[in-house]
Amino acid sequence: LLDEIARQCPGDSTLVIDDGSSDGTYQVARGRSPTVRMLRNLGIGGAIQTGIKYAERNDFDFCVQIDGDGQHPPSEIAKLVQAYRDQPRSIIIGSRYLSDGGFNSTLPRRAGSAAIAGALGILFPQCQVSDPTSGMRLLDRAAIRLFSARYPHDYPEPISLAWALREGLSVGEVPVTMRARVHGQSSIIGWKPLAYMFRVLSYILLARFMRFYP
Amino acid sequence: MATTNPHTLIAVAIFASWYLLHTAIKTGRQQLDLYDLAMLSMVAIIPAAFTFIPSLADRLARIFGVAFPFVAMFGMLFAILFIFVHRLTVKLHRLERDNRLLIQELSLLKHSLDRPDPQP
Repeated sequence: LLDEIARQCPGDSTLVIDDGSSDGTYQVARGRSPTVRMLRNLGIGGAIQTGIKYAERNDFDFCVQIDGDGQHPPSEIAKLVQAYRDQPRSIIIGSRYLSDGGFNSTLPRRAGSAAIAGALGILFPQCQVSDPTSGMRLLDRAAIRLFSARYPHDYPEPISLAWALREGLSVGEVPVTMRARVHGQSSIIGWKPLAYMFRVLSYILLARFMRFYP
Repeated sequence: MATTNPHTLIAVAIFASWYLLHTAIKTGRQQLDLYDLAMLSMVAIIPAAFTFIPSLADRLARIFGVAFPFVAMFGMLFAILFIFVHRLTVKLHRLERDNRLLIQELSLLKHSLDRPDPQP
């Protein structure tokens, strides 16, 4: 993945967040790219926020987050950057559902994603997105500043969107082609999709109606 | 008028004294804070009050409008318990958040010490 990023995005800074892996990821990654090894496993939200803090402290104009499991082809990063240049928005989401080809996830996941997108669209009418759970996103300085200060630690993508929208940040979307996961497995398995939906929708509701939250 | 059996009085008095002393010692050693001492002491003080003043249960039952007097006592104990659990939950979440922040800051610090980045 890192070699692919280096080929696709020459001259860009890359940062790997190793969230306490035990499979030698750190040793492999640090030879190719700056790598922050989390001293304890914090989960996706804590790991992503660490990367965002790094971007803020190094004065990045924008940053793009992608998963390390091979789902997000580095060749698609250029589409996010181009979309930002065409029409700058604080968050540009790479949507697998606007794209004709590629991996589109399972039907229940698509339904869940559509439900979350629907809830976001109703509660925040300025946000009409198709893939609020996508982990492939571009963040500009305003989003970096906001998420560096606070970021959800569980199921962060849709919840952080609601937080950003409440703060008046703009959100856009661009079609990207995703791949099936190459490594690892999703953490949202078994009964967790139900907990996921409940938690995400509740947090979105709280974000919309409770000004003091979080 | 209701009276309490002397054996019960002695047993409750021993329990209450031991428990209050135990929590006071823990507070003195800073294993509990003063707020915890006050809340936890209610576990001894409330039953002791009901034991040593038997008419208290009937009076409270009339005030609260419950048929069974000890519902009032258990209600008070549950209220104390819920306040205590609520406080613990808030404290736990704050600790969790602080812990997460510290791990992030330490990890970033370790990264900058281990390998000063040529980037950006």
